[in-house]
Amino acid sequence: MATNTQIDVVMPQMGVSVSEGTITKWLKQEGEPIAADESLLEISTDKVDTEVPSPGEGVVAKILVQEGETVEVGTVLAVIAPEGADVEAPSQDGEMPPAPATQEAADEAMASASEGVGDVSQASEPSTPPPAPSPAAAGENGKTFLSPVVARIASEHGVDVSQIQGTGTGGRVTKKDILAFVESRTATPAAAPAETPQEPEPQAAAAPPPVAPPPPAPAPLPPQAAPLPQPQAVAGEPAPGEAVEPMNAMRKGIAEHMRRSLDTSAHVTSAIEVDMSRVVAIREKLKPEYESAYGVNPTYLAFVARATVETLRDYPWINGEIRGDKIVTRNFVNLGFAVELADGKGLIVPVVKNTEGLNLLGMARAVTEIAARAREKKLMPDDVQGGTFTITNPGGYGTFHGTPVISQPQAGILGTYAVVKRPWVVQDELGKDVIAVRPIMNLTLTYDHRLVDGALAGRFLRDLREKLQSWGESDY
Amino acid sequence: MAVREAEPVGSLSEVREAGLDREDLLGIYRNLLVTRAIEERGHILYKQGKIPGSFYTGRGNEASAVGVATAMGPNDVGTPLHRDMGVHVTRGVEPWRIFAQYMGREDGPTHGRDGNVHMADARLGMIAMVSHLPAMLPVAVGCALAFRIRQEKRVAVGWFGEGASARGDAHEAMNLAGVRQLPVVFICDNNQWAYSTPTHLGYAVEHLADRAAAYGFEGVVVDGTDVLAVYRETKNAIEKAREGGGPTLIESQTLRMEGHAVHDDAFYVPKELFEEWAKRDPIERYRTWLRENAELTDEEEDEIAGRVKKLLNDALARAEESPQPDPATLLEGVYATPEDLDTPHHK
Amino acid sequence: MAELTYLQAISDGLRSEMRRDDRVFVIGEDVGVYGGAFKVTLGFQEEFGSWRVIDSPLAETAIVGACTGAAMMGMRPVAEMQFADFVSCAWDHLVTVAAKQRFRAGTPVPIVVRLPSGGGFSGGPFHSQNPESSFAHIPGLKCVCPATPEDAKGLLISAIEDPNPVLFFEHKHLYRRIKGEVPEGRYTVPFGKARTHREGEDVSVITWGAMVYTADEAAKKLEAEGVSVEIVDLRTVMPWDREAVLASARKTSKVLVLHEDTRTGGFGAEIAATVAEEAFEDLDGPVKRIAAPDTPVPFSPVLEKAFIPQVDDVVAGLRELAAY
Repeated sequence: MATNTQIDVVMPQMGVSVSEGTITKWLKQEGEPIAADESLLEISTDKVDTEVPSPGEGVVAKILVQEGETVEVGTVLAVIAPEGADVEAPSQDGEMPPAPATQEAADEAMASASEGVGDVSQASEPSTPPPAPSPAAAGENGKTFLSPVVARIASEHGVDVSQIQGTGTGGRVTKKDILAFVESRTATPAAAPAETPQEPEPQAAAAPPPVAPPPPAPAPLPPQAAPLPQPQAVAGEPAPGEAVEPMNAMRKGIAEHMRRSLDTSAHVTSAIEVDMSRVVAIREKLKPEYESAYGVNPTYLAFVARATVETLRDYPWINGEIRGDKIVTRNFVNLGFAVELADGKGLIVPVVKNTEGLNLLGMARAVTEIAARAREKKLMPDDVQGGTFTITNPGGYGTFHGTPVISQPQAGILGTYAVVKRPWVVQDELGKDVIAVRPIMNLTLTYDHRLVDGALAGRFLRDLREKLQSWGESDY
Repeated sequence: MAVREAEPVGSLSEVREAGLDREDLLGIYRNLLVTRAIEERGHILYKQGKIPGSFYTGRGNEASAVGVATAMGPNDVGTPLHRDMGVHVTRGVEPWRIFAQYMGREDGPTHGRDGNVHMADARLGMIAMVSHLPAMLPVAVGCALAFRIRQEKRVAVGWFGEGASARGDAHEAMNLAGVRQLPVVFICDNNQWAYSTPTHLGYAVEHLADRAAAYGFEGVVVDGTDVLAVYRETKNAIEKAREGGGPTLIESQTLRMEGHAVHDDAFYVPKELFEEWAKRDPIERYRTWLRENAELTDEEEDEIAGRVKKLLNDALARAEESPQPDPATLLEGVYATPEDLDTPHHK
Repeated sequence: MAELTYLQAISDGLRSEMRRDDRVFVIGEDVGVYGGAFKVTLGFQEEFGSWRVIDSPLAETAIVGACTGAAMMGMRPVAEMQFADFVSCAWDHLVTVAAKQRFRAGTPVPIVVRLPSGGGFSGGPFHSQNPESSFAHIPGLKCVCPATPEDAKGLLISAIEDPNPVLFFEHKHLYRRIKGEVPEGRYTVPFGKARTHREGEDVSVITWGAMVYTADEAAKKLEAEGVSVEIVDLRTVMPWDREAVLASARKTSKVLVLHEDTRTGGFGAEIAATVAEEAFEDLDGPVKRIAAPDTPVPFSPVLEKAFIPQVDDVVAGLRELAAY
C-alpha cells in the first residue's frame, strides 16, 4: 500500500522472551524506494535471524539505527515516507506502526516504570482496590472507628482514644497516632495551675502574636494522661444545691499525674526574692527593638528562662532524673513551660528542646511560639515530651508564692511570681542603707529531696538571682 | 502386524518349554485358589459391615492376573488394577495385610488412607493404582523409561481395562512407549463390561489389541481364562521387552462374572453370557487341566485346599486384630521427607 | 559470582545438577535438538545425550506420568511443560497420582515440572497464565516461584533434591530481562522462606514472581511521597513463609497482597485470610489484594495492560492503604 504519511519501521519481537535485536544488514539505503513487504533489513536475535519486510511502500526516508547496533524491541529503526515528503523525527515512545508479518508485542516491561499508553491501566477496576469506606472522624458525634491494632493498644495502655486527634482517613486515629500518644504520656503536664507568661501591671497580659506558622492540616490535640482506673468515690445522688459534671480526659490526666508526682518525689520548696531592676531596664530598651525587628516580645519569662538555663549548667542534678537507683544528668536542657488552657481549667506543658543553645532572642521566640501553638491546640506529640526542667508562672494573677508540683520524671520546677514594686533596702553611693522602690519578683524552686538537698537548691537560687540582678546590657 | 490370537496351552511338555515345572504349576493353582478365597471372603466381610466404602473384586479374572504375574521377573514392576488381586497374591503380598487393607486398618499397606485394592507393596515391585483409569499406564511407561535410561534388564507391566482404553492416558502412554521402544508390556483386561457399558459402546475396533499396530508394536489376543496361555504370551512379551524388543499389547479376554462392585447386581448383562462363561471358570478350567495333564491327585488337591483355608482363617483373625488408624496421624505424610528416599530404588 | 540472566541461572542450575547426578534427566517437547522453546536446555543434548535430554511426543500426561514412574524407580526427572498453560493437560496426573502417592501409599515421587509462566507480551489466553493457585491447593504438591536469578538457580536445585512433586514456575517475562549476581557452584534456597526484597515501615506488599519488580517500582514512587513500603518476596507459594508475612504485618499493620494471577481464588486470598485471621489485632487497615481481573489473559497489548497489574495500579493501592 502506498503511504500518505510516514511509517515507522520498528524492531520486531521474535519470541516471547526476546527483548532486543541487532541489525545485521540494511538491504536498502536512505533515499532508495521500497515496496510493501519487500525485505528492508536483516536482524539477529537470541532466538532467530530473520529479514524484516517493509511495512509500507515509499522511500526509505531515514535510517535511525546502524548496522551492528543492538536495540530494544519496539525501537524505531527507520522511517518510510511518500516520495518527496518531508520527514519528521519519529516518536520513540514504543508506539506500534501497522504490523508487517513479524510478531509485534508492545514491550511494556513490567520491570521498568514507564507507563506511556493512555489511561488504560485505570480501566482494570477489579484489580485496583475499591475505595476504603471513610470511617467517622474521631470525635464527631461521639462515634469513632477503631482499627484492631488501635483498639488493642488502647486497651493495653488504658487510653481514651476519643481524646486523640487522628491523622488517618476521615480523622481516624491511626496506629502511629496512638503509639505517639502513648509514648508522650511519660511527660504529661505537671505543676500547679499555670498561666500564660504574664507581665507585671505596666504590661498588658496579651497573647503574644504567633511567630511560627501552624503545622500542616491534621492538628493533634496535646496528648492527655490516661483516665483514672477507678473513680475515687461512688457518685451517688447529688444533694440539693449540688451540681454534678463529669471530669474530662485532660482533668483526669492532670489529677492522676499530680497524685502520682506527689507520691513519687519528696517535694520541698525554697524561695528567694530577686531585684529585677536591671532586667526591667534592659527590657525596656530591647522591647521596641525586638518587636519591630523580630516581632517578638522579650518577656520577663524569657529573661528568667535564659538565666535558669545558664544556672542549670552548674547544677546538673537539678536538671537530672532518678532512674531506678541511678542518677541521670544531661548536657542539654529541654525546658518545659506551663501553659494555661481553657480559662484556667486546663493546663499543658510544651517543651522547648535544647534551650542551652538559645540566646535571649531565641528564647523569647521559642517561648512565644510554643505558647501560641499550645493555645491554638496545634502542638505535636513531640512538643510535650522529653522535658528535663520546667518553669511555671503562677504569679500572673498577682500571687507572690507557691509550691508547684514537679513534672515527673524531672527533679525540679521553678515558679515565677508577680513582679511587684516594693520598698527595698539598698546601699547608696556612700554605702549607707536607704529605701528605694524596686521591682521585686519572688522565685521558688520546688525540688525532689531524694536527689536535691536544701543546700544545693539554695545555691541554685542564689546563683540564679545573681544572674538576674547583674544582667548586663551585652548579656543576651 | 496383524493381531495374533494365541493358541491354548496343550501338554505339560509344552508348559515345560515355557519354563514351568510341576511345582510351579501347583503354585499357580494355589495362587488362583488364594485369590478367589480372599475375594469371596471379602464379599462376606463387606456384607457383614466390616468393610467400609465400596468393594471391587475380579471374579473371572483370576487366571489373567496370576498368569501375568507368574511371568514377571523378580525385579520387574507392575501397576495392577482392581480385578488383579491375583497379581498381589502371586508377587507375595500376605493375605492378612490384604484383609487389613479392605477393612481400613492400620496394618494395611496404606494404613487406612486408601481402600479396597488401591494398595501396593513397593518392595514387591508394585505400584498402587488410583481411581482415574488408566492413569497408571503413563507411570508404568515411566518405570520402563528409567530402566531404558539406566540400561537395566527390567520390564514394567501396565494394566488397563477395555473401558479405560478410551481415555487419552492410554493413547499417550502407548504412543510414548512405542516411539521409544520402551521395555513395557501392556495388559488389557477385557472383561467385556465397563460398569454397564458394553464393549461396542467403548471401542470401535474388533480387538483392542488391533490398536497396538497404531503404536508401532505387536498386539496379541489371549483367552484370559487359560492361565497357562496367559502365562506363555506374557512371558514371551516380557522377555522380548527385556531384550530390547519394545512393547507388546496383550488383550486378555474374560467376562466380569459379577457386578462392577458389590453394590451392582449387573442386571444389564444377559443371563446367557453369565451361563456361558461360568462354564469357562478359570480355576475349574485349570484344575481340570492339572488333573488331565499333570496328574493332580485328590490328596494334593485336598492338601492345597486345606492349606489355603487355614491361611485365610489365620489371615482374617490377624487382620481383625489390627487396630484402627489413629486420627491424630492424619496430617502426617502428606509430604515426603529425604528419609523416604532411603530405599533401594532411590540410591 | 557471575552476572547471569534469570534464564541462564536456571540453565546453569539444571546443567550442574545433571552433571553431578546421573539420575537427573530432562523430558519435554522440543527440549533436545531444539534446546527448549526458550532455550533453557540449549546444548544439553549434545552434552548429556538423547536418553537424558528426551524429546517427547506432544503428550503432557505421558510426560509427567512417565516422570512419576521413573521417579518411583529412583530417577530424578525434570519435566518441561512448554508453557505453564499446558500443565492443565497433566493436571489430572499431578493431582490424582503424583500428589497423593506419598500420603496414601508411602511412595515418594521426587519429580520437578518446569513451567514457563506469566504474561506481558501478547501471548494470549493460552501462553500467559500463572496457574500456581490450583496446585498450591492440592496437598502433596509444592509450588515454587522465583523472582531473582540467584533464587531461580538455588530453588531449582532444591526442587530437584526435594522428594516431592515440585511445580517450578519460571516467569517468562523475567527470563532475559532480569540479570543478577548468581553464585557459582552448588547451593540451595530453602522452600517456605521468604526474602525481604525491600525493608519498610508503613505498608507491606506480599508478592512473588515478576510482580516483585512491579512492587519495587511502585515502592520507589511511594518513597518519594514519604511512604515507606516493605516488599516481601515469598519465593515459594507452597509452602509459604507464614511467619515472615505475619511478622511484616505486625510491623507495618497494613498489608497488600499482589499477584499476577487472577483475583478470585488466587493464592493471595489464602494469604489475606491468614493475615486477617492471625494478625487481626495488629491491623491498622484492611488487608488488600491487587491481582489480575477474573478473565482469561487477553491478547491485545492494550487489553493485556488492563489485565496485568501495572506499577500505577500498585501505586494507587499503596497510597490508599497508607492513607487509611
